[in-house]
Amino acid sequence: MLSRQKLFWLSSPYDISGTEARFLRAVRENCAYHIRHCPQYRMICEMEGFSPDQVQAAEDLARLPLLPTLFFKRHHVASMPRWRLALEVTSSGTSGNFSRVGFDWGSVLAEIPMVLRLGFYHRLVSLRPAHYVVLGYRPGRQDRMGVARTMFGLTHFAPPLGRFYALEWRAGAYVPNLDGAVKRLARWARGPLPVRIVAFPSYLWFGLKRLEELGLAVRLPKGSKILLAGGWKQHYAQEVDKSTLYTLARRVLGVEEENIHEFFGAVEHPIFFNTCKKHHFHIPAYARVIIRDVRTLKPLPMGEVGLVNLITPLLNATPVTSVMTDDLGYLTPGEDCGCGLTSPVLTILGRAGLSGITTCAAGAAQLLGKGEMP
Amino acid sequence: MIFAGGRLLPDQELDSVLGHLEEELSQSLSGPPLEAEIVLTALDALGRELDSGALDGLIAQYAPPGAREELNRVRPQISRAALEQRLALELGGLSGPRPFGRAEVRPLGVLLHIAPGNMAGLPAFTAVEGLLTGNVNLVKLPHGDRGLTLAVFQKLTEIEPRLSPYLYAFDLSSQYFGTIRALAALADGIVTWGGDGAITALRKLAPPGAKLIEWGHRLSFAYVSQEASREELTALAEHIVRTGGLLCSACQVIFLDEESMKPTVDFCRVFLPLLEQAAAGHYKTAGQAAQAALCARETVLEQAVDRSGCGDRLFPGRCCSLTLRQDRELELSHLHGNVLVKLLPRGEIISALRRQRGRLQTAGLICPDRERETLTTLLARAGVNRVTAPGHMSDSLPLEAHDGEYPLRRYVRVVDIENNF
Repeated sequence: MLSRQKLFWLSSPYDISGTEARFLRAVRENCAYHIRHCPQYRMICEMEGFSPDQVQAAEDLARLPLLPTLFFKRHHVASMPRWRLALEVTSSGTSGNFSRVGFDWGSVLAEIPMVLRLGFYHRLVSLRPAHYVVLGYRPGRQDRMGVARTMFGLTHFAPPLGRFYALEWRAGAYVPNLDGAVKRLARWARGPLPVRIVAFPSYLWFGLKRLEELGLAVRLPKGSKILLAGGWKQHYAQEVDKSTLYTLARRVLGVEEENIHEFFGAVEHPIFFNTCKKHHFHIPAYARVIIRDVRTLKPLPMGEVGLVNLITPLLNATPVTSVMTDDLGYLTPGEDCGCGLTSPVLTILGRAGLSGITTCAAGAAQLLGKGEMP
Repeated sequence: MIFAGGRLLPDQELDSVLGHLEEELSQSLSGPPLEAEIVLTALDALGRELDSGALDGLIAQYAPPGAREELNRVRPQISRAALEQRLALELGGLSGPRPFGRAEVRPLGVLLHIAPGNMAGLPAFTAVEGLLTGNVNLVKLPHGDRGLTLAVFQKLTEIEPRLSPYLYAFDLSSQYFGTIRALAALADGIVTWGGDGAITALRKLAPPGAKLIEWGHRLSFAYVSQEASREELTALAEHIVRTGGLLCSACQVIFLDEESMKPTVDFCRVFLPLLEQAAAGHYKTAGQAAQAALCARETVLEQAVDRSGCGDRLFPGRCCSLTLRQDRELELSHLHGNVLVKLLPRGEIISALRRQRGRLQTAGLICPDRERETLTTLLARAGVNRVTAPGHMSDSLPLEAHDGEYPLRRYVRVVDIENNF
């Protein structure tokens, strides 16, 4: 009981080795919960001959039944009736194929210390109120897209004075208003309070380009930040693109590289991954990552490229304990990063595959009609 | 993006394009008719550019991986000679003297194509069929068309500007139904490619006077009657992996001409390594292999969750799988190298396949020579429209019909003209 809350409330955010016992206990309990309450998950465990007591050491995590994100897109699986959920979130799915992931109240409670600890660690939390320009979706009743929720969440690390959204829901469709965002940015830049831009990276890119076209180089007030979220597509290891983006942000907005923060998470793995000051994603104590061979799905040693398998005991409402993304990536020792964190670094290389899976950010880029970042 | 008047236009121009479309169409139709020769010459020039490698950059940029290889396979079908033969075969004999006077072949007029997204190049190809028959073509591009069709249209109209009034393409995201309805209202024929959902939706939108030309989703299978050679099975395995099961002509189920389960289990044990070998050879990049491994994993899970208690037997392989099922239905497989195996004694071919009538397309036949004729006849009587070698199921065969019909014939009408009145 409460092993999940202990993991999330008591753990130091990047202490992987120190939290091992706590993590394994929480995973065992989480799995047992899903086996008891989710018939489909139980069937899969039975088929694989898996029981939670098989998870006794870190390497045993590889034995957890592995569910690809595709499975959640095709099957609505739940370990809790809908009325017991705190909220339900969907992945982006332009072709009508999307995951539905339910959040129980316990998971919402567990998320609080995770987000706060990581927010403080990465200096996102500030008491100084800020204006927010969101180059993304306005959350609303019309959809429950995870990314809208994340972006909305990101507007709370400093007290929000106002929010401007670049994607508006009008007459059944999202309509981009980049020029409006640019104008608003120019106006708030003249004020004394910091501005925080929350954006899909591609939107930031187009927004910055637009500002440059208009000859509008602004200097955002001190303490201003850029927070990048939404879809992993933009976090692929394209260092050149990233540095081009950072240079552009410095030139056009006056925001230094250390004030550009990136995040990722997936609807099926709602863990708050942050970039360190060297722009690397270290694995937080609330998750573990296994890289798997692309043909056999067997775990690979550190440094080798394979499919990214994400593990967390955060959700009781949906059996997302061990999910297989369709991203290719690799792990490197945390010490190699040089930022001071020792937890391993996850680098995402790109999306595996052939089929038209569209991330939220790619969908947004399509809305702009301008393709993706170069 | 929109393609109209030989130019690429941003989506914002949609209303303006639609506003002038009726007038432009009337103008095109009242001008000189589009001769097939003009189209053939333009396609020939495009083909030569393609062969010279001048378009490789374009293809790499706009088409999905593997499109170049697919294109090489279909290239002979878009050669001048092949298209001339098609025109002669499909339209020959429709016009000429009649006891009352003469019959002439005329285009339907305006064709609206709801283009498919399962194979790069098909949206352009359906428009080419419309052009060859002299029609104006309004093409609704599939979701996820990566610009290839627009690039082809632009290239084609650069080569032959006289084609510009005959080619329109719309990459519609939102405002979908309203625009389709507006386009349908202007069309003499509506060519729909797609599944039941797309076809039903289109039937609702089409005005009563428009001719509906539907190329719906079809199901294909392999039929194996004893003594299959290793070569034949390898060819079938390669077909399954190469198509990913995504084409109408792609094998979904391998039917075995057997009476009991024992030989089918033996078949799976023999066939699985061949399928794995084909997968290992085909999925060259880590990304492709990963995608296939995920689909195979998904198959395993779906079998556990959706089919528990059905008596299925799963043979999981590396990046592929076989599922042995007890029933005799032709149905969609798990795709991407995950194929179904079922028992279907020849005596039950007609009764089993009749349940999918109207959806049958290709049968890849593996059998001893002495039985080929008998089994082919049986399959044809059951409603199958193509019978091929296992490795050729998805190959375009020169001068073949499309789902049992000659497409060009559906894009024209015959005008009877009485003499001396």
